[in-house]
Amino acid sequence: MKKWRYDSSRDLERTPLDRLRQFPREPDILVYGLRSIVALIIRGLLRIYNRFEIIGHENLRTNRSLVIVANHCSHLDALCLLAALPLRKLHRAFPAAASDYFFQSVPRLWIAAVIVNALPFARQMRVRQSLSLCEQLLISPGTILIIFPEGTRSTTGELREFKSGIGALVAGRDVPVVPCFIDGSFRAWPKGKRLPRPRKLRLIVGAPLNYRACGRDKMEICAIAAELREAVNELRQRNGSN
Amino acid sequence: MAGIGLIVVFLGRIPTIVGVTLLAIYAFKEFARASGLYRDWWMTGAVYAGIVTVGISSVISHPRGEEPGTGWYGFFVAVPVFEIALILFIPILRNRARGELQRMSLAIVGFIYIGWMFGHLGFLANASNAYGFICYIIFATALSDVAAFTFGKIFGRHPLRSEISPNKTWEGALGAFAVAMILPWILRFSFPFFGIWQLILTGLIVGIGGQLGDLSISVIKRDIGTKDMAATIPGHGGILDRIDSLIYAAPLFMHMAGYYYPLR
Repeated sequence: MKKWRYDSSRDLERTPLDRLRQFPREPDILVYGLRSIVALIIRGLLRIYNRFEIIGHENLRTNRSLVIVANHCSHLDALCLLAALPLRKLHRAFPAAASDYFFQSVPRLWIAAVIVNALPFARQMRVRQSLSLCEQLLISPGTILIIFPEGTRSTTGELREFKSGIGALVAGRDVPVVPCFIDGSFRAWPKGKRLPRPRKLRLIVGAPLNYRACGRDKMEICAIAAELREAVNELRQRNGSN
Repeated sequence: MAGIGLIVVFLGRIPTIVGVTLLAIYAFKEFARASGLYRDWWMTGAVYAGIVTVGISSVISHPRGEEPGTGWYGFFVAVPVFEIALILFIPILRNRARGELQRMSLAIVGFIYIGWMFGHLGFLANASNAYGFICYIIFATALSDVAAFTFGKIFGRHPLRSEISPNKTWEGALGAFAVAMILPWILRFSFPFFGIWQLILTGLIVGIGGQLGDLSISVIKRDIGTKDMAATIPGHGGILDRIDSLIYAAPLFMHMAGYYYPLR
């Protein structure tokens, strides 16, 4: 009899806590099931509690890899963007989350790894390493990267400058970049508040952009970041309530 | 580990069954990760569903009230039939044959051994003498494990099964066996209605069954080529490495007790 080959998971020697920290993860059906159920509950809560509404949903309908770029005022932003994706794509969607904030304390780590499926992004050191991780993910089709190029939650609700890293990620790469504007998340759950408030939330999805033809030098990368910020700002002025 | 188990047991029947079911789910998850079965969502999903069904059959009563007390024994012992039927159906449903025998075998072993046999510990919570039975079997298997380790460390010379588990020795196994044979007499208040013959059988089941449970998990680990099933408890390996002797001894004990006395 020929020997059976056991395809063990590569993280057998790791403790559960270490397994949450590692990326890419190797989840089983329990994690997928839990994530889907919680996603459904979050969708329901957003609809009822925040009267969540999506404008321009058709811009997200593609089976290719894509990068979603949005403004960032609160933790609700990532949840809103995830709620705009079909459930089956949820497990291939990675919101980039600050590793110094989300990947330190155990409850946040658990939420980031199991519920949100976040990508640990080192925003202070090793930015280049995090960006190359993003690039590797984008190679396989169907990956959705959710990136907040402001780098942190805005404390005023205003749109801050975009970091140039987003330009470095998409320049010269044939991947659609979808600018999005989330309206109302600052009023619903500003930084520092413990719980969200029942304010209206709207997600406005813009038309995808492509930077396949752009060079990768510093000037052009900064220009891309500025252009994406302008695209998000335009969505806000065209549809925003304030 | 045994301490947490005993606390849950004293919370009552349903917490015990829920706790055993969750433990079985987690133990199967470890088995699936180690054996690579976790990549097959259909098979693992079917086994998780089966483990939950075992838990449910322990909680509910017979729908027409034909059995005394709580728990539906007839369905509980029949769950493997339905589960194996489901597992054999999955490759047919997906129209796939390559590598399916391995997946079906792993799923069936995983369900029967980790889900259903361990589920007996939960079903024991329906017994009229539930506290005595469950506390005894948890305590006795834990103590005989400790005895095997201690006797092996002090007197260990001759390897028990060199191909399976190089650290276990005949001396350790005999020490554990002796402790397990004496223990039913010391803790006779756990089951005051047991006669001499039942006490001897209890000792044999814990003394031999506990060791065999340990070795049978070692066989699986040895073939997969891993030292521990997981690293869930730092320094102690996975949940499955902790409950291995309980999985083997608990169902044997339950059916032994159920043969001589009405369980509920």
